[in-house]
Amino acid sequence: MASLLTAGPFSATNAEGRELYADVRLEVEHGRFVLLSGASGSGKSTLLRQVAGLHRAEGARRTLGDTEYGRGELCRWRARVTLLAQDAPMLLGGTIEDNLGFPFRLGPASKPYDAEQARGLLERVGLGELEPTRDASSLSGGERHRLGLVRGLLWDPEVLLADEPLSGVDAECAAQCLALLRAQARRADRSVVCVLHEPGLAAAAEPDLRLILADGRLEPSP
Amino acid sequence: MSQVIALTPWDLVLATGLVVAAGLISLALRLGLEKRLAIAALRTVVQLGLAGLILKYVFALDQPLLVAAALLVMTLFAAREAVRRVSRRYGRVHLDAWLAMAVSGLAVGGIVTQVIVGVDPFYDPQYVIPLFGMILGNAMNGISLCLDRFLEHLATRRAELELKLAFGATRAEVLNEPLRAAVRTGMIPIINGMAAVGIVSLPGMMTGQILAGSAPLVAVSYQILVMFMLAAAIAVGAILVALAGGRRLVGPDGRLRLERMNEVG
Repeated sequence: MASLLTAGPFSATNAEGRELYADVRLEVEHGRFVLLSGASGSGKSTLLRQVAGLHRAEGARRTLGDTEYGRGELCRWRARVTLLAQDAPMLLGGTIEDNLGFPFRLGPASKPYDAEQARGLLERVGLGELEPTRDASSLSGGERHRLGLVRGLLWDPEVLLADEPLSGVDAECAAQCLALLRAQARRADRSVVCVLHEPGLAAAAEPDLRLILADGRLEPSP
Repeated sequence: MSQVIALTPWDLVLATGLVVAAGLISLALRLGLEKRLAIAALRTVVQLGLAGLILKYVFALDQPLLVAAALLVMTLFAAREAVRRVSRRYGRVHLDAWLAMAVSGLAVGGIVTQVIVGVDPFYDPQYVIPLFGMILGNAMNGISLCLDRFLEHLATRRAELELKLAFGATRAEVLNEPLRAAVRTGMIPIINGMAAVGIVSLPGMMTGQILAGSAPLVAVSYQILVMFMLAAAIAVGAILVALAGGRRLVGPDGRLRLERMNEVG
């Protein structure tokens, strides 16, 4: 079976101009939970941002299923290959509901916001008590990350790129969230690429594929 | 009546006493503003003196090209001044400010002088220069407030903008909120001004017309025209400068190019 996603080649340098990696390609098959690891500063976040089309990437090509997305189609690409950014950003002054629902009010949205499903997911990540009208900026770091995760799962893109989605989440709850991510990844025509900050979590992730970004290259790791 | 009392040089010397009084207050309270006040007073005299001489020359020659040249110089200075007050810059920000200024000035000033007032000849400097002057001066304020707010929004709320992009927002969608907030900021002073005019303040132009002998109702109708034209010029200028900035700092694919922007001062 053909890959779900292929993207690359990507190259990047850090702020001092030192090369992080060159000619890196990412290929993800259907129904896979992929764990991306690498030392701090190796460029994992930059790579995910390049795949998502949020960071400059000269000459990169991006294909999802049989469709290639050119430069003019990056907005539609991002709706289907969606990045959960590292610090779980929120809409300033937005409520919980605004923060979960806003993607469904954007141009490329193809389905309405499902408040029922949102409620269910919030309960599963331990945020069942949250009032939908509460200001999201009052959440703790861990709560924000879980809310970000729920937003990604609700949006249900073909490929979810999750950059440290469980920062600040306690161990028990993190295991629950990890199970949700795995379940999302293993559905048909879906995949998840995930970076986990904590070695313990990464060890317990049970991914289908481990990739490591080291010495400027992206390679499978045992 | 209706005879204008011209000020003699001696009258202006007396007026200087007023600004000196302000300087003495600064000295007495140790505000440390004397020097800046002196420079500002000097600039007032020199700049207005020059403007008076140039206007006298432009009025006397009565040449359309000369009027056009004066307007061009006014837009250039207004654009430079508008950008000077903004705390962030990007490449070609001066060009964008100038374009916004020139387009809004030309559109609104053109309608006012040619359609509403019906100036004859069309370039009559006695009308064209002061009306455009007011438009550009106010558009300058609106444009700089709007641009400052717009660039600040992009710089300080980057993560939020990228959040929207990550879920597929287009450039128009991601710029919608910063643009609206910025244009709103640019327009608030004129809206406040319109609400207070006649009750709290008598605007300079109306006061001037009355001093020069116009009937109050003539002065009032001009002032109404002026307030409306300023509102239009500021709205158009603010929208244009924010749109132009948005195009420079957000790519057609929505990717933010904030590395093109830097903070000054």
